[in-house]
Amino acid sequence: MKNSSDKKYSIEISQKEAEEIRNAIKAASLKVMDEYIERMKKSWPNRPEAMQYFYDIAKFFGTREREIQEAKEEGKKVIGYTCMLAPIELILAADAIPVRVSSGFYDPVKLGNRIVPVEVCPVVRSTIGVEMIGLSPYLKLSDALITPLTCDGMTKLSEILSDSKPVWTLYPPRLKDSEQSMFFWREELRTLKAKIEKLTRTKITAKKLKAAIEIMHKATRAFRRLQEIRKDAPVIMGRDAMLVNQTSMWDDIKRWTEKTEELCNELERRIREKVWACPPDTPRVMIAGSPAIWPDNWKLPNLVEEASPQGVIVADELCSGDRFLFDPVGVDEWTMDDMFKAVAERYLLPSTCPCFTSEDGNKDRVNWLTARIEERRVDGVIYHVFRGCMLYAMEYMRIKRVLDKINVPVYYLDTDYTREDVGQIKTRVEAFLEMLKSRVEF
Amino acid sequence: MSEDNFEYWRWREYHLIVPNVRLEKAKVITAGIDIGSVSSKAAIMVDGKIYSISVMRTGSSSPDSAKKVLENALEGTGIKLRDINYIVGTGYGRVNVPMANSTVTEIACHAKGANYIWGPTVRTILDVGGQDIKAIRCDERGKVLSFLMNDKCAAGTGRGMEVLADLLKIPIEEMGAASLKVDEEPDPVSCTCVAFARTEAISLLRRGWSKEKVLASYMRAMAIRMCNLLERVGCEKDLVITGGQSKNIGIVSRVEEITGFKTLPPPNWRENGRDPMAAGAIGAALFAKALFEKTANKA
Ligand code: SF4
Repeated sequence: MKNSSDKKYSIEISQKEAEEIRNAIKAASLKVMDEYIERMKKSWPNRPEAMQYFYDIAKFFGTREREIQEAKEEGKKVIGYTCMLAPIELILAADAIPVRVSSGFYDPVKLGNRIVPVEVCPVVRSTIGVEMIGLSPYLKLSDALITPLTCDGMTKLSEILSDSKPVWTLYPPRLKDSEQSMFFWREELRTLKAKIEKLTRTKITAKKLKAAIEIMHKATRAFRRLQEIRKDAPVIMGRDAMLVNQTSMWDDIKRWTEKTEELCNELERRIREKVWACPPDTPRVMIAGSPAIWPDNWKLPNLVEEASPQGVIVADELCSGDRFLFDPVGVDEWTMDDMFKAVAERYLLPSTCPCFTSEDGNKDRVNWLTARIEERRVDGVIYHVFRGCMLYAMEYMRIKRVLDKINVPVYYLDTDYTREDVGQIKTRVEAFLEMLKSRVEF
Repeated sequence: MSEDNFEYWRWREYHLIVPNVRLEKAKVITAGIDIGSVSSKAAIMVDGKIYSISVMRTGSSSPDSAKKVLENALEGTGIKLRDINYIVGTGYGRVNVPMANSTVTEIACHAKGANYIWGPTVRTILDVGGQDIKAIRCDERGKVLSFLMNDKCAAGTGRGMEVLADLLKIPIEEMGAASLKVDEEPDPVSCTCVAFARTEAISLLRRGWSKEKVLASYMRAMAIRMCNLLERVGCEKDLVITGGQSKNIGIVSRVEEITGFKTLPPPNWRENGRDPMAAGAIGAALFAKALFEKTANKA
């Protein structure tokens, strides 16, 4: 622990105050998680048994927290990351535990506001607040953090978090498709690899990296299988699929893979038996834009699937969702060099984050969106933007143009980490669904 | 009533029964109830034709307001609550309309209602309610194609007009005309926020502005906000204005001037009940008919 005079940003907050706030928020949060899970169960009464596992893991403070705690006591290291550009394979190859730490809690935002202005995106403000009071078990248990410097918020968040933990920045080049960028990015990952090795006192050998890549291959396969299942008439509610996707960010990835495969087995049987999770003519919605992070920021998914008329989320384009494990590492030969190159490529090239640009104006994102819209037969897109998220907000016009051309309605929905706007957003979401519904019925 | 406790903000509540509607042969009787933040509206329709309209202030409880406005609409019609085949609730209090068979958002209802009031040429609807502004695009059948809502603040809406009416001591229904009695249009007020409307207006009055000039400035600012929304949604003719401010000539004329679009004139609503202020309730009653027929067909 550094003493306060060395701190760049953090403000003094007494242990007592931190504890009080933490206990209050944690208690409220436990209730919220239970309530949301109950609500999800209610809108999918005939859900398969395999879902229960994910509801359990979704309870942030509990089984998985203890498991990681125990692993740590046995000497394992935990490496947190703030963004999906962090290479999970390198963490696994060093026998460390990867966890995503960007926060979805609403209440800590107020604490974050003591350090950064309210104009900053709420993910950043909340993550700062969570760190101040040690709310998230996963952030607390992290021995070090990988912080990709994607947007301005994430960049400064990295500095702020460095007041309390070792922080390893990763600097992604804003242009993906050039030799220099790739070279630079590989060097960034090489530096990162050395840091991981030092912390874990584990050499990332070719054998270990290969094993890690294979673990993630399996996870990707299960992940893709689940998304494939969402192509046809709905056998799984969107919120549930989103929760499965998200638990992969803190669960044991091998076990998560097995459980996801089990779930997929059940869901595929349901497709054959035509047992739908909701009526097949329910409007099919895609959520694009800023991430929807469990637990509190389940606002939009809840609204869509509890709306009247009801919608079903069949796809998303969120870094907290459908994009997370979508791409496998493509290895030609299992040499160290080749594997390392493949890992680097996997994280840079397929990323459709708006922090990238190119001569064709982030065409990768456009292509990703239109491909998903087509294959999942999306009726309409909700473009979700946090106040303060400049990148997603600015790219809206670009995306809207493309969607207008292919005649897919899109609705721009701005929100914040607050419960106050639920009523307002409900009207917007329901009006949008009514609009889609009448298109569906025509 | 002495001048001091005259309630300038209080707009007229009303109940109107359309003559010559034949009840004996009625096949479907439906109702739409629109609970807004400032006013509650009910429309009773007989076979898809307006029979009775009621407009009242919204009280502190949505269910009570809904009950009151519907009872008011039924009064003297010979129709009882149990005669109504289907009720649709709309407006921000739509989930709190206990007698409603289902709910539809005010956005869809205003589009449907505007289509009924003015006919199939309506393409753009500007709905100015008590606490928000909506710009809606629709097709020739009154189906919503796209829409935008203003931020979660009452800036430039009916609520703001009430505050000003009280402050300037001008009856609310005369404010629009008063705002046009200026030689030259002043600059818009810099902030239309309801919380600041009072302070802003007081400071302008102190500077020696006339009441009319203050109003003109305020309404200009409101109109600009509305036109921004219209521009973003893509205004196409015919343009109409619905909701509480639809009869405010100070707003209507400024919106027309800024956009360059003529709005369709308010129809002869005192006779036929096609009141743009009740467009949401009228749309809801039409949806009620469609939904009733759909369920009847299924059964
Ligand atoms: S939501 Fe936007 S501003 Fe916030 S971290 Fe993500 S990209 Fe950055």
